[in-house]
Amino acid sequence: MIQSVDRAISILMELQGARRLSLTELSARLGLAISTVHGIVATLVARGLVEQDSAGHYALGAGVLRLGNVYLDSNELRLRSVPWAETLAERTGYAARVGVLMGGTVLVLHHALRPDGSRQMREIGVDLPAHGTALGKALLAYHPAPRTPLSEVAPLRRLTGRTVVELAELEREFAAIRVEGIAHAEDEIVLSESEVAAPIVDDTGVSVGAIGVVLPTTELPAERATIDAVRNAAIGISRELGATTWPGVAPSD
Amino acid sequence: MAIPAEPSKGSIAIDHAFVVRFVQALDERLSDAETFLTELDAAIGDADHGTNMTRGLHAAVIDLEAAPDRGVAAAFAEVGRSLIRAIGGASGPLYGTVFATLGRTLPQGGPVDARALAAGLREALDAVQRLGAAVVGDKTMVDAIAPGVAELERRLGHGHDLATALDGATRAAHEGATATTPLRARKGRASYLGVRSEGHQDPGASSSALVFDALHAAASSPGTSADALLP
Repeated sequence: MIQSVDRAISILMELQGARRLSLTELSARLGLAISTVHGIVATLVARGLVEQDSAGHYALGAGVLRLGNVYLDSNELRLRSVPWAETLAERTGYAARVGVLMGGTVLVLHHALRPDGSRQMREIGVDLPAHGTALGKALLAYHPAPRTPLSEVAPLRRLTGRTVVELAELEREFAAIRVEGIAHAEDEIVLSESEVAAPIVDDTGVSVGAIGVVLPTTELPAERATIDAVRNAAIGISRELGATTWPGVAPSD
Repeated sequence: MAIPAEPSKGSIAIDHAFVVRFVQALDERLSDAETFLTELDAAIGDADHGTNMTRGLHAAVIDLEAAPDRGVAAAFAEVGRSLIRAIGGASGPLYGTVFATLGRTLPQGGPVDARALAAGLREALDAVQRLGAAVVGDKTMVDAIAPGVAELERRLGHGHDLATALDGATRAAHEGATATTPLRARKGRASYLGVRSEGHQDPGASSSALVFDALHAAASSPGTSADALLP
């Protein structure tokens, strides 16, 4: 590993967490001499990845936004999914999310806001614990070995009192998901929020992502039309990715 | 109707009227803090905590003022129902649970003493923790309620009267809320942000600290129930 590159990345990670840090704070967090950190951070400022405010504090710069946007724009699944997610949100009246499995977490690639004009947190780029979301369950149900990604985040965390954290119980849920290709979650990641999600399959029959809606738990059970809209979106994206079957290949036991 | 027990000298009756004063005081404090709570929530949530809470407490005040006096437990239960219905989001069930638990666990009928109220608040804290699977340090309302209840119990145990004990509990709850700022959220929507949730005070802990303020106000000024109705 190249030490200075590694240190530069550590600086970016620290600024992601703290948002604004003085040179002294940054040095203390990295456990490095001020002169060492100054040299690296000055380079990052020169290249636009870090910015310095009028008080002299450092923060992430516009350059990282450009890099992040390129990541989002070059992801084919996301490109295909965005119009479907937007339509799904419009049709159902609920927020729609598209995610991919990264280890034991789901990375949200797109978040179509609930179309009611209210202020909502933008969830693009957030990591959700896979076992606590319908998106993650839809992906894990068609994963060749669901225990492998889950073992990366073991022990499974309870996000609410209703999060399922026992592997055996999760596997029973996965089997139930494979019957219809639809995953449900009820108050499992945030209280009062429930989800309906379905897997997205590529041309090799592998589930590469999931799309779903978030609805208030008070509106359960989800209407047939909502479940159908989620399934149609998942099938539509899968077809665009070249899939000939849906909902994908079940793991062999 | 139950015959109210004679409150001992120098102490305050924890009865239906106490709950009315408490809920009115909470409504006032939340209205004053609405913008602040919404700003906190804008950083790590949906920017609706302030408006959700004031909507809920306005409804609770109206419902409770219209409700007959069936004792302190019934009054708390009534407030719990109003809040679950009117707050919405995750705060509805959480705050609803606090009040519903008080309504369920306090002795039914007549007024209760300070120790019973503290025991009811301890039960309410436990119920919130079960519902949300949250522990102290997760950057949730538990971070304000847990130290508040602990300080209330400690002071009552040392023989302080309710108002004095709640004064200390209020300070402990606010300190708990302030102490959420550097924490990384581990529960609720704020946890979606991971490391980005650091550096922001938790809105739920902040509104929860006001619950102790309002309890303190209700325990300190037994006349305000009627006064608050005057223009």
